[in-house]
Amino acid sequence: MTIAVLLKQVPDTTARITISGGVVDEAAVGKWSMSPYDEYALEYALQLKESGGADLIAITCGPARASKILTDAAAVGADSLIHVLTEDSGMDSSNVQSLLAAAIGRVGADVVLCGKQAADTNAGSTGPGVASILGFTCVGMVSEVSTDADGFIAMRMGPSGNEKVSVSKPCLFAFDKGSMEMRRPNVRGIMMAKKKAVETLTPSDLGVSLIDSRVSLESHSAPAEKPPGQKFEGASSVPTVVSKLRDEANVI
Amino acid sequence: MPYDALDFYDVDSLLTEEERMVRDMVRDFVDNEVLPKIEHACRDGVFPDEWREELGNMGVLGAPLKGYGCPGLSYAAYGVICRELERGDSGLRSFASVQGSLAMYPIWDFGSEEQKNHYLPKMASGEWIGCFGLTEPDYGSNPGDMITRAEDMGDHYLLNGAKMWITNGTIAQVAVVWAKLDGVIRGFIVEKDDEGFSAPEMKGKHSLKASVTSELVFQDCKIPKDRILPGVKGLRGPFSCLNNARYGISWGAIGAAQACFDSAREYALSRIQFEHPIASYQLVQNKLSWMLREITKAQLLAFHLSQKKDAGTWIPEHISLAKMNNVDIALEIARVARDIHGANGILDEYPVMRHMANLESVKTYEGTHDIHNLILGRHITGIQAFTRSLE
Ligand SMILES: Cc1cc2nc3c(=O)[nH]c(=O)nc-3n(C[C@H](O)[C@H](O)[C@H](O)COP(=O)(O)OP(=O)(O)OC[C@H]3O[C@@H](n4cnc5c(N)ncnc54)[C@H](O)[C@@H]3O)c2cc1C
Repeated sequence: MTIAVLLKQVPDTTARITISGGVVDEAAVGKWSMSPYDEYALEYALQLKESGGADLIAITCGPARASKILTDAAAVGADSLIHVLTEDSGMDSSNVQSLLAAAIGRVGADVVLCGKQAADTNAGSTGPGVASILGFTCVGMVSEVSTDADGFIAMRMGPSGNEKVSVSKPCLFAFDKGSMEMRRPNVRGIMMAKKKAVETLTPSDLGVSLIDSRVSLESHSAPAEKPPGQKFEGASSVPTVVSKLRDEANVI
Repeated sequence: MPYDALDFYDVDSLLTEEERMVRDMVRDFVDNEVLPKIEHACRDGVFPDEWREELGNMGVLGAPLKGYGCPGLSYAAYGVICRELERGDSGLRSFASVQGSLAMYPIWDFGSEEQKNHYLPKMASGEWIGCFGLTEPDYGSNPGDMITRAEDMGDHYLLNGAKMWITNGTIAQVAVVWAKLDGVIRGFIVEKDDEGFSAPEMKGKHSLKASVTSELVFQDCKIPKDRILPGVKGLRGPFSCLNNARYGISWGAIGAAQACFDSAREYALSRIQFEHPIASYQLVQNKLSWMLREITKAQLLAFHLSQKKDAGTWIPEHISLAKMNNVDIALEIARVARDIHGANGILDEYPVMRHMANLESVKTYEGTHDIHNLILGRHITGIQAFTRSLE
């Protein structure tokens, strides 16, 4: 069994985001990290590898700085690392999906794990898009996955509670918040990660010709500022508070 | 608010990628497993055993030692580990310093092949805890006059005497004890269950509350012949351990100072007095900018020293300067941070008072502040001023 895990580097959730000229200023991002849902995918990919003796390949698509998350993945146990190098961060999702699908095809992975959406774009299209190009079964909103006979058992959030589903290869799992956090590396893993080579591939190495973006970004804008909190003191303000809770906050 | 480690000159960019990955690993451990538990640990006066286990799992114990199951990291990485641990608590860093630099290091440098193979792998994994017995009730800054002695009984040694202020003593399986054999200081490996050995815990500390401090008592304690460290005689033995531990402290103190600065800045920005955040007042800004200035200098000092350690171009006086300076400024920063927090500064909701109290110990152990001044004074003048005859 060959497992692929798709990882994206995004601005850290604690990084300050600034907008300049109508788009997010990437040069001003102080810290880049692995997208949080991808961390769950990686943790469960490691668990599958450990239970089935599989080969685990971590794949990212992005600019040069993104290879850092592959080294992080190697430090916790990914066996090989593929970086699909693209400098165009405005590239639309269908191109990213084609590139990732081609990389997965190249390594012959028959099970793929990824996050349900990336923390920067929140598009949520990568998992289903890659699965549809490859003809893999796609399971979304997954919180756990384990091997079972010759297939897999996944837990996912269904419309009315947890759902347990069974699927067979080839398949793709798109992770929601998983039940287990990604493990912490250790010194041995970190020292081994340093020695693991990252295979860098361009779109043409993968035989993918990029298409013109079908979706183009018009502009980014910061979320509206939260109105300041309101403070009420004394018993006389109870009616005001009650009416605000009912009519403005809609909580009672 | 997530921790924002002050690094004004981006000194960490001088570290290797591997060293930064080690930093992030330890920082994550401190955020998720140390800080949520530290106040309880202090209140109960215990060192949580899970921390021992996780330090072993991460593989950071005895960081710069190579072989025998030890991590084999650079001294820069060892420094970063100490800094991140001490950002959590000086007691946690003390545990790691004692284990790595004071207990594993002498076995690694001065032990026999059998001793290294027997002890080091289990100490690197955290399975066995080590302690270091040098200080005695009557001999602190002046360990050369120690009373504890060993006697050669033919097929074993007999140890008599007492050590005091020994970090990890009660919880240790392995104690590296310095004692005089025929008037010469030698290192002995004492095991927890050795006949005639006990390690009662010292209670009532107002500092390093999450660290175990003990007495070591030897009453006709029988030590097998193969437990003497063959590779060193005299004060050079304990002092070479102290060099490594003091080096780690010079980094560790920065972590405590960064934690205090982070808390003080946050607090100053959110605390409103006289209608404005106190951070908007010049007196408070002056305090914060002084902290930034001292932390930045301390970082550069520690980083440069790490490069000298890794290159082997250091002298003990370099380490004295860094230990003395960095602990000194960290303690003062903790005090000023406490002041900025006003009354809130005395609560355990904020880390500042805990760091402040901890750093009082750090100022004293591993060579007091003034002992390091004397070491530098001797270096500058060629005249030792530790003692003189009073006739
Ligand atoms: C929490 C804690 C943990 C410790 N852990 C360990 C451990 O694991 N192993 C271990 O062996 N020891 C340990 N120690 C002991 C520590 O190393 C000693 O406390 C330290 O060396 C100072 O010795 P002292 O306390 O006897 O002070 P003293 O030596 O009595 O010093 C008292 C004061 O006199 C000053 N002074 C001393 N001599 C001179 C001089 N010649 N000129 C001018 N001033 C002088 C000192 O600077 C200090 O201000 C620990 C101490 C503490 C507080």
